[in-house]
Amino acid sequence: MKYLIGLGLGAVLGALASQTPAMAQSGPACPVKLGGILPLTGSMGPVGKRISDSAQLAVEHVNAGGGVKGCPVQFILRDDQGQSTVGVDAAKFLVDVERVSAITGTVSSGVTLPILVSVAAPSKIPLVSCCSTAATFTTLAQEGKTGGFFFRTLPTVKTQAYASAAIAAERGFKRISVIYINTDFGTGMVKDFIKAVEKLGPKVVKTVAYNENQPSYRAEVNVALAEKPDAVFFVAFPQDGATMTREWVSLGGTQNMILNNSLRSPEYVKSVGPKFLQNAYGMDNASVSGPTVEAFKTLFQAKYNQSPDGPGIYNQYDAVIALGLAMNIAPNLTGDSIRDSIRKIQTAGGTVVGTGPDEFKKALALIKEGKPIKYVGATGPLEFDANGDVSGAALIWTVKGDNLAVDRTLTVEDMNALMKKIDG
Amino acid sequence: MIGQAIADGFLTGAIIALGAIGVSLSLQILRFANFSHSELLTWGAYIAVTFVSFATAGVSVGPLSFGWQLLAATAFAAAGTALLAILVDWLVFGPLRNRGANHLTLVFASFGAALILRNLVLLIWGPEARYYTNELQIAVEVFPDVRMLPDQIFVLALAFAIVLALHLFLRFSRLGMAMRAMAESPALARICGVEIGKVIRWTWILSGALAAMAGVFSGLTVQLRPEMGFNLLLPLFTAAILGGGGSLIGAVIGGLAVGLAENLSVLVIPAGYKAAVPFLLLLAVLFLRPQGLFGAAERS
Amino acid sequence: MIGLLSYLVFFAIIVLILGVATLGLNLQWGTTGLFNAGVVGFYAIGGYAFAILCAPPRPELMANFGLPWIVGIIGAMAASALAALIIGLLTIRLRGDYLAITTFGVAVSIQLVTLNWEALTGGSLGLTTIPRPAAGLFDSSLSANIFYLALTLGATALVYWGLESIIRSPWGRVLKAIREDETAAIALGKDARLFRLQSFVLGSTIIGFAGALYVSFIGFVSPFDFAPILTFQIWTMLIVGGSGNNKGALLGAFIVWGLWSASGTFISMALPAAYQTQGGAVQSILIGLVLVCTLLFRPRGLIGEQPTVSRHLAS
Repeated sequence: MKYLIGLGLGAVLGALASQTPAMAQSGPACPVKLGGILPLTGSMGPVGKRISDSAQLAVEHVNAGGGVKGCPVQFILRDDQGQSTVGVDAAKFLVDVERVSAITGTVSSGVTLPILVSVAAPSKIPLVSCCSTAATFTTLAQEGKTGGFFFRTLPTVKTQAYASAAIAAERGFKRISVIYINTDFGTGMVKDFIKAVEKLGPKVVKTVAYNENQPSYRAEVNVALAEKPDAVFFVAFPQDGATMTREWVSLGGTQNMILNNSLRSPEYVKSVGPKFLQNAYGMDNASVSGPTVEAFKTLFQAKYNQSPDGPGIYNQYDAVIALGLAMNIAPNLTGDSIRDSIRKIQTAGGTVVGTGPDEFKKALALIKEGKPIKYVGATGPLEFDANGDVSGAALIWTVKGDNLAVDRTLTVEDMNALMKKIDG
Repeated sequence: MIGQAIADGFLTGAIIALGAIGVSLSLQILRFANFSHSELLTWGAYIAVTFVSFATAGVSVGPLSFGWQLLAATAFAAAGTALLAILVDWLVFGPLRNRGANHLTLVFASFGAALILRNLVLLIWGPEARYYTNELQIAVEVFPDVRMLPDQIFVLALAFAIVLALHLFLRFSRLGMAMRAMAESPALARICGVEIGKVIRWTWILSGALAAMAGVFSGLTVQLRPEMGFNLLLPLFTAAILGGGGSLIGAVIGGLAVGLAENLSVLVIPAGYKAAVPFLLLLAVLFLRPQGLFGAAERS
Repeated sequence: MIGLLSYLVFFAIIVLILGVATLGLNLQWGTTGLFNAGVVGFYAIGGYAFAILCAPPRPELMANFGLPWIVGIIGAMAASALAALIIGLLTIRLRGDYLAITTFGVAVSIQLVTLNWEALTGGSLGLTTIPRPAAGLFDSSLSANIFYLALTLGATALVYWGLESIIRSPWGRVLKAIREDETAAIALGKDARLFRLQSFVLGSTIIGFAGALYVSFIGFVSPFDFAPILTFQIWTMLIVGGSGNNKGALLGAFIVWGLWSASGTFISMALPAAYQTQGGAVQSILIGLVLVCTLLFRPRGLIGEQPTVSRHLAS
């Protein structure tokens, strides 16, 4: 059969493409490879591109701080184009041919899930996602379907949804319309938001789901506007979100806006026009202010001449650093050891290490001495629970003048109290 | 609410109509469904944004968010896109036509051309959304409960003027008559001494220029993205077929029908299904009146 | 080398699954001349039908039956056949490019249904933990994949053999006759529309089968798996390989998917980090160029249709 010949040909080509034969050796083969899968083209392209910048920065910091077990880390980035088939193929290639020790990135849950269930978990390779929020991952972990190889550095949408509901009640909004993106992220957020809001007082008068990549969202905006709400909640990504907010404001919608975390980006504020966002507030996960957050901001700003505010950027940095630390703690670089070491970067009472190359160097020294560490990252303190989820503090942001500003933060304790109040 | 949906429907419809005229021309004169036509909209919009980034969108004139520079940019984009259309024809469609390829081969080629054109935009201008101007307008209430932006009213009027001018051109100019003759019967047109090459060239020029204008208007009232044209593909084709392929007024009415149907549909069905509305309309028309609303019965 | 082998097994499974879909399209286009631009729609129906029948029940979903693998496969094919029958009855009389646009719209609508009908399809969350056949028998993922490769290879061989014999049958000859000259076929007393409908339904059933194989392999399905670009990729496979020739369809699947994967690897190796974000665009342009150049310089594809000559003439 012709395709069998073809397969043979493919084998030869593949062999040429992979330069590192697997060697059975004690100690890692240099460089240590870390795989990244991000949507760099397609509708999530603008989001993925900035996240990849953050990942590259983190890898630089790891290398400047001493690498992994004396080896430099090589970051191999692949584009999933927002297509699951492409993402799975890339993951399989990274794991089998490039022999990466771990994978990070993966934005939409629709791409992360197939990578997890068909590549990462069966091959026992840890997958640390920066951005996939679907509740499904928690369910799968509880059922033991992930083998414990899945981690994510951003809390599930619940934290955000509850925090924004609390502020909506505090500001005295009565009738809220919601326009949300029709993905697992949007639907999950809205479900939790409605649950919280109804418990706390205000009413959701209309929810409108929108599909990405429409030429215009005027129709959706009109439906939400028809109820004459006194506040609106946008769950969107910066590009669609800007279109929608512009249409909302032009059509005379209220400027009492609640915005989700993805809209905390200078690009969004600039596109809409800051003067229309003075009454808006949004929330974001963690990013509790503090020296480690500020250090990351400064370093990112210096490198890319851009603010790191935007979806997934802080989280991706922590994903890479968490892996870098865990790989150094792990006795060897098998998937099992790395998985089992990830929670050792958050030892209670350990010496606090922060962001940037110097802090990474400090952490390596501590690890070498066998001392416990506690990583406080670009998103504040990071604690993975049994399902690989992080619980988080929330932050309320607003627009002051032309710029994004932090209004205040809700600590983990505040959030726990809030969850208790809502979930009973 | 319903009034607002109708007003928005007219605006979306006018932009779709401008794009659909090009689809319609290529269906009738070049005799194939050009799936890469929607990418010409994207190119037009981006060429204009490049022009604007050199010249700025200009000081706002009256209530509009832009100045005369944007109109200059539109003209520039129209010319640029027309050239691009001719270039694509010269590289891809022309050779296939000369070889006497099946018209469906041209359709496949247009699939490929679309992919290339769309990703070139991504490569050249990057994936971020862009705007001609960051000014945000506040809508004025034109009728009770019907709000429109001054820009939108301007776009509607301009689109109407363009269609009228095109109608006069096709009706009375020599070239316009040649194009109509070619649409009726290429063989007869050739016998009567119509220069086929020239007609084809002008068909591309017109489609390209109109697509560019549709792209700029869409970018002006919404935003610019590399996928903006591709996302209009189904509406454009629906409008052209609805109008009966080849008839100018048909394409315009088809465009308005699609725009209205999309915007009115959200009153009765969940907004999540909005993108399927043009298709359902198309299916209904093809089933009930295969020659289109305004097309003559098929001559075989 | 075990890693490379593991990747190649995986790669081969995907190629074969896409190859089956291309074979289905080849029956519709290569043999009958039906321009189906909604391939991904039928692929999605097959995939979702399989997932709904075979995934274990979850309280938030109205269906999900946890049935055996083979029931899922048969159900997936039946669902695609039924959908194709309904759509075919509505559209089969349309001329080439109109049929293309309608089927393109069908695919868009099917994707919207999978996205919005949450109770059945899980909406944007998709459906998870879809079982693979005999998954419990293997302890390593490589041996499980090798088993699945054998299964898809068998399935591909079956479809290939079935299509080859169909095309050589009197029924297949009528299809080709209709493609070449519909009027003449009608004059010979053949009900062209009926034959076209049959071919459309059978081809879509095969495409649905491929969808089910894919979902069963990956173990997860969501609306984002079925973007319109996939239709385009499968068409490119058929045209590059050579439409009208089943071997060409399989070869095309191998070459186009291989090119897609290899160029992705190459870009991640060759381009500096700052330019990698544009890599996907380069990949898509490459596929577009391959298609256009094939049409321009090798219109029959790599291995085109074998000319059939009547044995009475040949002697």
